[in-house]
Amino acid sequence: MSDRIEQLQEEVKNSSSIHIDSQWLNYSGIEEYFSEELVITVKAGTAIKEIQAQLEENQQIFPFYITDENQSIGAAYAIGAQDISDSVLGVKIIDGSGELLNFGGQVMKNVAGYDVARMLVGSQGQLAIITQISFKVMPKSYIADLKPSYKENERSTLREEIEGRLKTVFDPRGVFN
Amino acid sequence: MFIKFKEVIIITCMSVIKELSRVLPKGIVLTGEENTRPFECDGLSVYRQKPLAVVLPENIDQIKQVLKICKAHKTPVVTRGAGTGLAGGAMPLSESIVLGLSKLRQVKHIDVENQLAIVEPGVRNISISEAVASHGLYYAPDPSSQIACSIGGNVAENSGGVHCLKYGLTVHNVEAVKILTIDGEELILSRKDKGLGLLALMNGSEGLLGVIVEITVKLTKTPDLARVVMAGFDSVRHCADSVSDIIKAGIIPAGLEMMDSFAIEAAEGFAQVGYPLDAQALLLCELDGTEAEVQAELDIVLKVLSGASSIKVSNSEQERLDLWKGRKSAFPAVGRLSPDYYCMDGTIPRRHLADMLEKINELSQKYQLRVANVFHAGDGNLHPLILYDANIEGELEKTEEFGTEILKLSVDMGGTITGEHGVGIEKLDAMCHQFNSKELEIFHKIKAAFDPEALLNPGKAVPELHRCAELGAMHVHHGQLPHPELERF
Repeated sequence: MSDRIEQLQEEVKNSSSIHIDSQWLNYSGIEEYFSEELVITVKAGTAIKEIQAQLEENQQIFPFYITDENQSIGAAYAIGAQDISDSVLGVKIIDGSGELLNFGGQVMKNVAGYDVARMLVGSQGQLAIITQISFKVMPKSYIADLKPSYKENERSTLREEIEGRLKTVFDPRGVFN
Repeated sequence: MFIKFKEVIIITCMSVIKELSRVLPKGIVLTGEENTRPFECDGLSVYRQKPLAVVLPENIDQIKQVLKICKAHKTPVVTRGAGTGLAGGAMPLSESIVLGLSKLRQVKHIDVENQLAIVEPGVRNISISEAVASHGLYYAPDPSSQIACSIGGNVAENSGGVHCLKYGLTVHNVEAVKILTIDGEELILSRKDKGLGLLALMNGSEGLLGVIVEITVKLTKTPDLARVVMAGFDSVRHCADSVSDIIKAGIIPAGLEMMDSFAIEAAEGFAQVGYPLDAQALLLCELDGTEAEVQAELDIVLKVLSGASSIKVSNSEQERLDLWKGRKSAFPAVGRLSPDYYCMDGTIPRRHLADMLEKINELSQKYQLRVANVFHAGDGNLHPLILYDANIEGELEKTEEFGTEILKLSVDMGGTITGEHGVGIEKLDAMCHQFNSKELEIFHKIKAAFDPEALLNPGKAVPELHRCAELGAMHVHHGQLPHPELERF
């Protein structure tokens, strides 16, 4: 486990308020990439274009629309919509208690436990620090023109309530804002 | 007057059944030994339990009533689709009711232009494809039980199938779901919702978070052409490595399935479709698309598979179906050879397939139990079938121990204990190996965020922390033990 992760854990434990962005996170790089597995695992602060360059070498791409390739992959995940979620296989996170947790993995099929890795897509840094993400990638030849997928529907009161409770599950002290 | 504890429970149970029977039309609430027995297990028939009652509602309003009554009486609710699950997820609890959704089986709307269909949860998987076939569309995920399993169950389990590598799992093919919370309140979860990925969370939640009462599925255009390549190999390793080689060559087959010699023999004996009986392993690789696309892929695949001991390519739709027939009948074919078999579902990174199959072979010798391997190689999703005889004392326990070793190996290789069948009751112990107590705690709290009194399918999918502690299970992730400095045997 890297020192930076331990630092982040400490920081969460000792803070009452944290606003996550990639500069603060300061944690980037490609962790693991097996092109024949169609899986890439990256640290959340990695710039999307850096990952794309790696994928390009193997004629592979992210199978979702990239809004801004200068963004970090963690930022795209945090504000992401369903198309990104479809490609997520697993995440490592630090929750609001400073615990390092692992959900999902590096395989295409995985139904052990709730799908937290996909649930946190779009969580906007409000539930946990996403430190590492594994994605399914595809050969370029199989991906036609990608379109952005937007979130449109407004939330019902019941949904707001459930999301509020889920925030408390991951961040009981309300550290992330 | 004193009422003993047990009697209090019986009185409560009586009143919940009484109230359900009073509120719902005749024929919807089933009670008594004879009526409830068909519901005492799902596809994992080694575990059985009769519920208090079985309720088979005909519409959403009735389901709401059932939930409200059960909530008021604090009676657990086990939702059931077609009962084909393989992990005991729909096994009743003695103090629960079973909420069977098999009567809700209407395809309510087909939207050809947007390639969507709105269906009730009891609709069988295959029925969706049949209903939209005339529009040149189909529903892509195809679990092997697709002629029987229901779409509601598919969503609850996030079911897979043969064609996942190219077309995705259930979660990728669901546009929206309507669920009822334990309070009987409606909640629609859609791909277009702002906020957290609750739709993804609902997929694979095994009936613990809500009752799925309506599903909008995505439909896929039926490909012009599909052809299958059958390749026989002299060695299992060579066959397993070819799986990665095909992907490395930039091909995403529609299906990529592997069988070992035992499975080949069983399937051929059953289906007689011309599988090579002298091969140690067999690969079935399906390519689909336009004629040009299929030909281009076929050229590459044949090059990659040039080291195979035998090759056959389907030249007609009938030949293609014949080649699949053996694979699709492999489970019943193996079933003919043994009184019982136990189907595992671990998933590993493809590059470890050959090592895993070797390890399974070693374990087969260690436990003196035969194993047939027939599985979704393209996804790294293994289905070792362990053959045993439940009538021999201790053999089921031995089989389960064997299975647990395979699942632990799957986790240690960077994979998972279940790729598509779910945890249910069957893999609760194995969950302790894949997740640490903090992660399991998060799962329990997620459930509580939806169902604070734990009335929806309680005790399934996520083990209690004390269960893991009692097992003494050690959480190992990616081969890293806690306190690696200590010697362990």
